[in-house]
Amino acid sequence: MQVTSQQFKRKAAEALANPQLRKALGNLRARMVSGRARSLLELENLEQIREAAKSARDFALAHLDHLLERFELNACARGAQVHWAETGDEVNQLVLEIARRNAVRKIIKSKSMLGEETGLNHYLEAAGIEVRETDLGEYIIQEARETPSHIIAPAVHRTAEEVADLFQQKHKLPRKTDIGEMTREARMVLRPHFLTADMGITGANFLVAETGTSMIVTNEGNGRMTTTLPRVHVAIAGIEKVLATLEDVAFILRLLTRSATGQPISNYLTFTTGPKQAGDKDGPDEFHIIIVDAGRTRVLASDLRAALRCIRCGACMNHCPVYQSVGGHAYGWVYPGPIGAVLTPAYVGLDNALDLPNAATLCNQCGVVCPVKIPLPDLMRKLREQQVERGLRPWPERLTLKLWAWAALRPAAYAWITGMLARIGRWAGGSKRLIHKLPGGAAWSRHRDMPAPSGKTFRELYRHRR
Amino acid sequence: MRVGLFVTCLVDLMRPSVGLSALKLLENAGCEVVVPTTQTCCGQPAYNSGDRRSAQALARKVLREFSDCDCVVVPSGSCGGMIKIHYLELLEESPELRPKLQHLVENVWELSDFLVNVLAVQRVPGQFHGTVTYHDCCSGLRELGVKSQPRELLAKIPGLTLKEMANPEQCCGFGGTFAVKFGDISARITDEKCADIVATGADAVVLADVGCMLSIEGRLRRGGDANTKVLHFAEILAGVTNDPS
Amino acid sequence: MNTRDRILARIRLALDRGSATAQSESAAAVRDRLDNHPRGPSPARDWERVPRFRERCFSLSSTVEGIARLEQVPGAVARYLGENALPLACVCWPEFSRLEWAAAGLQVEARPATGEDAVGISGVFCAIAETGTLMLLSGPDSYATTSLLPETHIAVVPAARIVRSIEDGWDLLRNERGALPRQVTFVSGPSRIADIEMTLVLGIHGPYRVHVIVVGG
Repeated sequence: MQVTSQQFKRKAAEALANPQLRKALGNLRARMVSGRARSLLELENLEQIREAAKSARDFALAHLDHLLERFELNACARGAQVHWAETGDEVNQLVLEIARRNAVRKIIKSKSMLGEETGLNHYLEAAGIEVRETDLGEYIIQEARETPSHIIAPAVHRTAEEVADLFQQKHKLPRKTDIGEMTREARMVLRPHFLTADMGITGANFLVAETGTSMIVTNEGNGRMTTTLPRVHVAIAGIEKVLATLEDVAFILRLLTRSATGQPISNYLTFTTGPKQAGDKDGPDEFHIIIVDAGRTRVLASDLRAALRCIRCGACMNHCPVYQSVGGHAYGWVYPGPIGAVLTPAYVGLDNALDLPNAATLCNQCGVVCPVKIPLPDLMRKLREQQVERGLRPWPERLTLKLWAWAALRPAAYAWITGMLARIGRWAGGSKRLIHKLPGGAAWSRHRDMPAPSGKTFRELYRHRR
Repeated sequence: MRVGLFVTCLVDLMRPSVGLSALKLLENAGCEVVVPTTQTCCGQPAYNSGDRRSAQALARKVLREFSDCDCVVVPSGSCGGMIKIHYLELLEESPELRPKLQHLVENVWELSDFLVNVLAVQRVPGQFHGTVTYHDCCSGLRELGVKSQPRELLAKIPGLTLKEMANPEQCCGFGGTFAVKFGDISARITDEKCADIVATGADAVVLADVGCMLSIEGRLRRGGDANTKVLHFAEILAGVTNDPS
Repeated sequence: MNTRDRILARIRLALDRGSATAQSESAAAVRDRLDNHPRGPSPARDWERVPRFRERCFSLSSTVEGIARLEQVPGAVARYLGENALPLACVCWPEFSRLEWAAAGLQVEARPATGEDAVGISGVFCAIAETGTLMLLSGPDSYATTSLLPETHIAVVPAARIVRSIEDGWDLLRNERGALPRQVTFVSGPSRIADIEMTLVLGIHGPYRVHVIVVGG
């Protein structure tokens, strides 16, 4: 996907000024935050499960090479064809080759964030193949020619009215106003595609090393159709999606679905091992799995490794005050919110996403809800450190920090400077004790008054006291 | 027990009454309080901005200044969290400092936590006739487990009624430099906090960090609310206001 | 070196294990975990399987009923379809082809479902009490389409096949079948979606209705 993270500030400002988006984000927050909290009440040993989930993901990352080798061995033993891709471009090329070899004209797709990273849909469409997203939210944004704004609810930024307009325009049927009716219409419109597609493409929530299995977590039923009806199925997955065993998947799922949507379990869990077997009446003739690097080995080698634990639940963004205010598009790439603030610079380059790790208060609401305990604020801080080390911060900022540190290391100078500031501040506040415009503090004063200091610093008052 | 008071840069410059209140509360409870006069900053602004080197220099300075205290008390969750949670990692390249650092880290306390769990304070000098609501500062809450302690202390003030706001744990939008770098987003977050505060009908919002205070009070006043008081819990407990004593 | 080897080499470099001992210790740890597949922590389970299963089915908006014997299934299905004004023509898994469908007034064919079929009747490999879930395996006599394409899915669940958790389901599968079939599907209620204004709608691409008939127990 094209990177527009450099425009974060502008897009955030647009988002803040959009009342419909505000309403949509309020809805998302209300449902997701309370849904998660309610569903987690039944896990009386939540913290124990969280710690174990973190361990299981860390185990997978610590032994990633061996686990991927076992996965490949087991998948191939069942007739799957396993491919490896270093870059997003290679993924796209591999998929096209598989499609061409199988005379594929139509593809149905069940959501893949990795597919968004590589721009898979556009690539295949440019090659003359019809690609149909089948998750309702992905279908909506595909028709609207947009990008997803949330990893679980990609069309959350769209109102029902907007979807109604879109469907009327694309389906050429009478405009529906009821959400239930719109949903039925989408089912009716998409159903023939499921039955006539030559190939299905999915992502993978997890790759299970123990059995060579690729699994997806869905609610709609399109995932099941995509992995069963067409004659070819391709699953694409980042290297970090590996888990060791079926048991690991089972217990982590308890946290994943609750963290994502507040469900104790999602509607369909689909575990696929190899293509159609002898005697099966359904299933694809060919099952391909593409294991993808695309920057993940670089993150594995870095001090951002913990971010690879991510199980794509979306809880961090649901609970983030910044995401809650500006939504997902401002982040400018595939992953928004706190995980996006870390993965985007990691995958697309630090200097292409300078604002993202800085656009955070480090409140750690994200870290507290992350089912695998990714220390997101710490990772954002590390990215900030990298920016400083590489001289990527604007000079006024660097200068201010240097001056502050210089003064703070020199108590006498510090005392003098702060004494002056306290007096000036008291004077500037006048009788109201409130400063409306701070000289040199335009960025603060644009949005807030400054309560005036009291005229003397604590140091002075303490000295007088004694 | 020698209790070192780390006043914090924001208290020193912007709200000294918080420091004086902390002093009063600790002395009332029988502590011998020392206030190293060369203290300036814990290094958090530099640390959070990615300037590790400056942060390390400031951390070493704090360590020097407070090394002869049995414990260190801080009227701020963010500075307290900086010392207690981040100093060990920040100074891991100076193993010779480890013993002193370990002692500091194990004996640094946020003020309300110290008053409740170490001093077991039963009575407080302050009074407040009215309703307050309490904002949970992020660092205090998530780094230091400060949640019930300020509320327990407020419950000891005669005349005071505590009314919880919706979402007391939601960030106030300050985030240090975030408030100036991303002012419009910050303001939106603070607006929601202010709305939650005002919706309680409380006379005052009480909190534990001067950074949050500046963010909330600044936005309240800019929005035309001149009445809702914004107080640090130390001030209200000690019966001290903004007027220097 | 091909792509695969390059990626694995980069992973090994990133993990920086150092010695050959560490390398073989890692391989051993992986072998050990895969062979023993230990269970992770799970919440307390102080409930009975069948009541829990029923209660969870309800919370997922499935409907549930209990009958004593398999022979009563056609009557139960006919009642359910009649009460809900649903078509009386169904498809089913072969294991149910010998039941007395015609006597119950139903037209049931034992074949995979197509886009035109309205009601699919399946069995299960087992059912999961903890979450009200059906565990279905692909296979020559367990068509995937039966529980996927029709608007109404009716599942016949022997009470003795209700296990407590997904982990128990895996153990049962390993014990009885040895290896995983092509596809294992866990079905928990009618298909659902909340993508438009976060409003929950039941019935999107998969079935609108799931009716569970618990036999025996």
